[in-house]
Amino acid sequence: MDSDLLVIGGGITGMMAALHLAEAGARVRIVDAGENAGTWANAGSLHVQMQSRFMRLYPDQVPAVEASLPLYKAAAEEWVRLDALYGPFELVRKGGLMLAEGAEQLRFLEGKARREEARGLSVEMLDRAALDGIAPWLGPQILGAELCRDEGKLNPLMANARLLAELDRRGVARVQDRIIGLEQQTNGLVAVGRAAVYRADQIIIASAWGAGDIVRGLGVDIPTKAEPLHMNITEAAAVSIGHLIQHAERSITLKQLGQGQIVIGGGWPAQDRGRETPPAVLAGSFLGNVALAARLVPQIGGLRVIRTWAGMNTTADGASTIGRLPQASRVVMALPGDAGYTLGPLVAKMAAAVTLGAMPEADMVRYTPARFAA
Amino acid sequence: MTQAAEHFTFDGHSVPLRAGQSLAAALTDAGLRRFRQTAKGAARGVFCGMGVCQDCLVTVDGVPNRRACMTAAAPGQQVLTQNPFPDLATAKVPLAAHPARVIAPDLLVVGGGAGGLSAAIAARAAGASVVILDERKVGGGQYFKQSAVSAPLDAQQAAGAELLAQALAAGAKLIGEVEIWGAFDGLLFLAEHKGAALVARPRAAIIATGAYERPEIRPGWTLPGVMTTGAAQTLWRSYRTLPGKRVAIVGSGPLNLQVGRELALGGAEVVMIAERGPAPWLRPLASAVLAFADPGLVLSGLRMLSDLRKRGAPVRHGTRLDRIDAEGSALRVTVTDGAKTTAVTADAVLMNAGFDPQNEILRLLGARANYDPAFGHLRVVRDERCATSVPGLYAVGDCAGLGGAPAAMAEGRIAGRAAAAELGFGDGYDVFADQRQLRRHRRFQRQLWALHDVAPRLPEVPDDTLICRCEEIDAGQIRQGLGERPGHAGTLKRATRVGMGRCQGRYCGLVAARLVAAATGMPVDERSYFAPRVPIKPVAISSILAAEEALKDGL
Ligand SMILES: Cc1cc2nc3c(=O)[nH]c(=O)nc-3n(C[C@H](O)[C@H](O)[C@H](O)COP(=O)(O)OP(=O)(O)OC[C@H]3O[C@@H](n4cnc5c(N)ncnc54)[C@H](O)[C@@H]3O)c2cc1C
Ligand SMILES: Cc1cc2nc3c(=O)[nH]c(=O)nc-3n(C[C@H](O)[C@H](O)[C@H](O)COP(=O)(O)OP(=O)(O)OC[C@H]3O[C@@H](n4cnc5c(N)ncnc54)[C@H](O)[C@@H]3O)c2cc1C
Ligand code: FES
Repeated sequence: MDSDLLVIGGGITGMMAALHLAEAGARVRIVDAGENAGTWANAGSLHVQMQSRFMRLYPDQVPAVEASLPLYKAAAEEWVRLDALYGPFELVRKGGLMLAEGAEQLRFLEGKARREEARGLSVEMLDRAALDGIAPWLGPQILGAELCRDEGKLNPLMANARLLAELDRRGVARVQDRIIGLEQQTNGLVAVGRAAVYRADQIIIASAWGAGDIVRGLGVDIPTKAEPLHMNITEAAAVSIGHLIQHAERSITLKQLGQGQIVIGGGWPAQDRGRETPPAVLAGSFLGNVALAARLVPQIGGLRVIRTWAGMNTTADGASTIGRLPQASRVVMALPGDAGYTLGPLVAKMAAAVTLGAMPEADMVRYTPARFAA
Repeated sequence: MTQAAEHFTFDGHSVPLRAGQSLAAALTDAGLRRFRQTAKGAARGVFCGMGVCQDCLVTVDGVPNRRACMTAAAPGQQVLTQNPFPDLATAKVPLAAHPARVIAPDLLVVGGGAGGLSAAIAARAAGASVVILDERKVGGGQYFKQSAVSAPLDAQQAAGAELLAQALAAGAKLIGEVEIWGAFDGLLFLAEHKGAALVARPRAAIIATGAYERPEIRPGWTLPGVMTTGAAQTLWRSYRTLPGKRVAIVGSGPLNLQVGRELALGGAEVVMIAERGPAPWLRPLASAVLAFADPGLVLSGLRMLSDLRKRGAPVRHGTRLDRIDAEGSALRVTVTDGAKTTAVTADAVLMNAGFDPQNEILRLLGARANYDPAFGHLRVVRDERCATSVPGLYAVGDCAGLGGAPAAMAEGRIAGRAAAAELGFGDGYDVFADQRQLRRHRRFQRQLWALHDVAPRLPEVPDDTLICRCEEIDAGQIRQGLGERPGHAGTLKRATRVGMGRCQGRYCGLVAARLVAAATGMPVDERSYFAPRVPIKPVAISSILAAEEALKDGL
């Protein structure tokens, strides 16, 4: 099979990369294993401020995330652009509230807010009285919160469906297959799949947790790791929660969709059942995650949870990986890293620009795959 | 009928109730059938009558989204039509009746019907400690459905009362009004009991959750007053409530005839029974085979038909539902035999076009299953002891694939003994007689259903007919979603929202799997359906909070 450009991975990053490349006139094919895409499991939170969960779990990666903050802000703005272009995706950008329950948590948030402000984010500390004005439904134990105005939420099912339709419209071919590795053959580089071999002028790798394995044979060691997570959703209520809710210390995201359902998540672990089966929901995560939500927003206690689901998030070293592989210059990496749905479209746009030779790579040293030379 | 002495209010109007009645029954008695309003403004009422469809939701004393069919009516209750978007600021959090509770019996039996009760009796006889959990207040399951308002109605209820009494006398503990919503590896079950949390950690479990009914998906099937045949049967057998004065019944199978007869005896006017299958006298061979398998049951079947005829209830064979339309406060039911259509007017339309197993707990725990194309549903893989592919997990009765009450009882006895033996109680032997009976019951079932027509169907309906009741997704939207990318039922779900509502695709999910199979040419198998996920039934956040507190230190 021949095409000008091959995109491996058909999640949000692969879809958007293919869309940009097709718009530029290239012949594009997406090969996707059709398994465990974070894109079809994610909750549609547009994350911009540093996530406390992440800071706690991966303290070594915090400097990388902090340095990427402007990227997150630009990524949220890229979503606003896409919403206008291909939407509506029920995108709302009322901001995100990170809640503090004690004085120490408040101090932590104050410090964090200062660092984020220095990186250009629009943040503000709110005391309880101020919170009562915009979020009177918070539990009485909440002392204050950091408001990040850059944050928001959207309906990922809508966005994914619209973007898929757009790919169809542009004639981007999509094939279901799993790529095992890349091979240097006499007439160029090919991707070897289980079902077929794919030849292309350039290959864009947007396969998230599956990326590390694909490039390992080329002597690159990108530590992509599959992280099974789960989400919960309630039945609908009148829409009254406009913000994205997080906590200064504990793992939680809570928001209300345009149709009234409340989506609760925040990175609680699910049970890994291999790459070809979706992860299973763990009792402890389900109880812990929903109970925490009910303590922060007691008013949801009268609603019922109607469903959970689990999917694969991808972590690496905290920063995105965008750019050509030094070891194989016709391979371009497009890995968003943490909060990958937020970052996906922007990362895809940058990777597409690199592929088309339109972006000076010097601007992107922070994200270069060269940092993973084995 | 006993005198109504007490009242509750519905949207401010006083409604009489009889002690023991469900809210759904008391409202139906009062001629009220619109319980909730959908997001698109349609009215809905009782449909499944067994806690599955989530269409009978009402607000009770400020707590939103209570199922009227599963909630007891009580004097002084303030009941409101359920608005689709309750206001969080005023929605009351349900109060738990008692603290969370953790149980750890040798054997947990989920479902107190024919199969579950029989299993409990056998396991107790061998010496295992047994707890039976059932979501209904009234025990006995679907076949032995007990009365909540009076003494047994007939021999069938009396036999059920006897089986219940036997289980209790044997020392099995039966806890009612317990809804199991979660099952996890290592056999951990999470449930809601009157608003409180109940946690079970048994050494082994027998799942006996029975079946639910397959509807006729046709235009008008979501209108208030249209319900499953079993829902009407529960209204009558458990609460002495007629679903309406004039009743039409559509679909296929013996339950329709049986309930038609019961309601006619109870004073309803059965204006028509439309049966998809051809008349038995047109299939002498099948009828003869059936008579050979169980002459007694054939006789009672023939008596049923003649009883119905005596009461002027016309049974039309080879006839199916075409559509249902609202006609003032009544329903106009149009049926067709392929050549000509006929319409009748009724107050209630009952439908049953077969059964589908309630296998959610089994699938959640990873029990393997095979697709049975004749019945159009999954049959859980079991060995001769009714053990599933998951260690310590047994399945009996209709939840493993339709088999009927006598087979459920034989399976219950076999599994009860086997599970007890596995735990070190008794020797697990002495199953020969039960195995032989089981073979006979299964042979009879095959021949019985050969007289009816419960083949799985693709919905041949106009584009504007709803397929997904909860999310109000119509056939046109689903056809469009299929056209774009057929893939898998899960893909169709994400593309169209089919199956994303409160009933979790109990009705539309099976149709989606069939449609995808037809579009892709792939055969249906256990992976064709929506992925099983907790909670298997919607569960109150307040109850999750209570379970979390109970288990905080020990999970
Ligand atoms: C439950 C959950 C909730 C989340 N919520 C949010 C949120 O609210 N906000 C947010 O910003 N982020 C969220 N995330 C993270 C986000 O979903 C992901 O980071 C993002 O979707 C990644 O997009 P992607 O396109 O890079 O990769 P993915 O969407 O993961 O897609 C990768 C694709 O590559 C394919 N693939 C892998 N290996 C191969 C191979 N060898 N050959 C062929 N194909 C292959 C996979 O099958 C998959 O389709 C969440 C994640 C999870 C799991
Ligand atoms: C609505 C209906 C009416 C029927 N009427 C007749 C009839 O009149 N005559 C006839 O011959 N056959 C009838 N059948 C078929 C007959 O019910 C079965 O063949 C027989 O009852 C099977 O026994 P069982 O033990 O497998 O299931 P059941 O008798 O259905 O018992 C299952 C029990 O499990 C409980 N349960 C289910 N899920 C949960 C959960 N998550 N948590 C807690 N408890 C749970 C239910 O409340 C129920 O009591 C009917 C079936 C249905 C669905
Ligand atoms: S009628 Fe009550 S849940 Fe179906």
